[in-house]
Amino acid sequence: MGRLHRRPVFVLSALVVPLLTLAAPGFLRLGGVPPSWAVIWLLPWSLVDGPLSGALAGLALGLMLDALHLGSATQMPALALLGWWWGRLPRRRPPIERSFSLGLLAMLGSAVLGLSVLLQRQWSSGWESLLTAASLHTLLAQVLVTALLAPMICSLLLLLWRRHSATARG
Amino acid sequence: MPLGRLFRVPWLRPVVGAWPWALVALGLVAVRLSKGAVLSDAYALISRPFWPGSAQKEWLQAAQQVDQQSRLSQLELDNRRLRTLLDLQRADPGKVTAPVISREPGDWWHQLLLGAGEIQGIQEGDAVIAPGGLIGLVESVTPTTAQVALLTDTASKVGVWVGRTQRHGLLTGVGSSRPVLRFLEKDPQVRPGDVVVTSPASTLVPPGLSVGVIQSVDEKAVPATVAVVQLSAPVASVDWVQVLTRQGPAPAGS
Repeated sequence: MGRLHRRPVFVLSALVVPLLTLAAPGFLRLGGVPPSWAVIWLLPWSLVDGPLSGALAGLALGLMLDALHLGSATQMPALALLGWWWGRLPRRRPPIERSFSLGLLAMLGSAVLGLSVLLQRQWSSGWESLLTAASLHTLLAQVLVTALLAPMICSLLLLLWRRHSATARG
Repeated sequence: MPLGRLFRVPWLRPVVGAWPWALVALGLVAVRLSKGAVLSDAYALISRPFWPGSAQKEWLQAAQQVDQQSRLSQLELDNRRLRTLLDLQRADPGKVTAPVISREPGDWWHQLLLGAGEIQGIQEGDAVIAPGGLIGLVESVTPTTAQVALLTDTASKVGVWVGRTQRHGLLTGVGSSRPVLRFLEKDPQVRPGDVVVTSPASTLVPPGLSVGVIQSVDEKAVPATVAVVQLSAPVASVDWVQVLTRQGPAPAGS
């Protein structure tokens, strides 16, 4: 487990996620769909700080985002699972830092997150409306725009956080 | 020959000789009896280049619009007064104008965040209208913000009414920009272009708010007819909305 969570500044940077979700800047949208900011923040955090911290950060992000959204659909399980999975990745392997791999991981992550939300929302409104054109559009657009943004933002965050955790350790 | 003999009568000769004048007089009588058929037709033919043109038409239309608007506001006042008499709507709905501070019309959740909340008198379930008609209902309230579930959200269900055929239906969001109207009966006799308003019997939302226009009708859907509705308010570009608060200026029961 890394030492990222001991720096309050970095922990507080998670607050940017709900703020960006609310602000939803128009120029970072694809077909009107904003990227999944939670995935973009959680990916470098878990890669640097380990599975337990990643899962806890996922739960915390999920709690904040659920509070902002309507209905009973929750993002907590998917985000916690993603945080745990991404935290386990660096074990016994060279560290992940290529932007292509970061983009792929973010793509998978936002697909898992989107599918979990889609299934929960469809569960409440009946199965016959599953996989309508609108939900497919939202899912695909969100996966694409997240995967496009992740290499840019995640590699910067990864660089910053790796350096700090290395100096804290050394 | 009788005519030749008549010509020979001396005092009848001018009378018979004036037969063209008699024809003219006969024609005038015909015109009189037909209420001026030839005259007014001739006048219309001659005066056609000077008939009232488009300018007059526009003036008339403008005047008509003003007339209709004043009648509409009068009828709205009347309607509200009568509803209060009938006790359908206990208090006059107050209107709170609120800015839209966050919108997610394209995400999984179709919702708005308004910059006015409990302090301004907004409650859960209040109707939210924009220029054009109803756009959603208030879902949750904090002291200074209110979260609005748009009509396009999959969790949104509002009872509506098609005025032309007087049929009720349930407007359900499907996650796209156009909600779906599910009717209660098999043959509601609606067609594209029909205007959808909130149900006049509704106590959850104010009755008679315009919602949208039916765009297409699927009559083969089971169990009952389904129509796609285009909302009349532009949800994606609205910056200010009005919340119809149920605790109006005069509190209920006082």
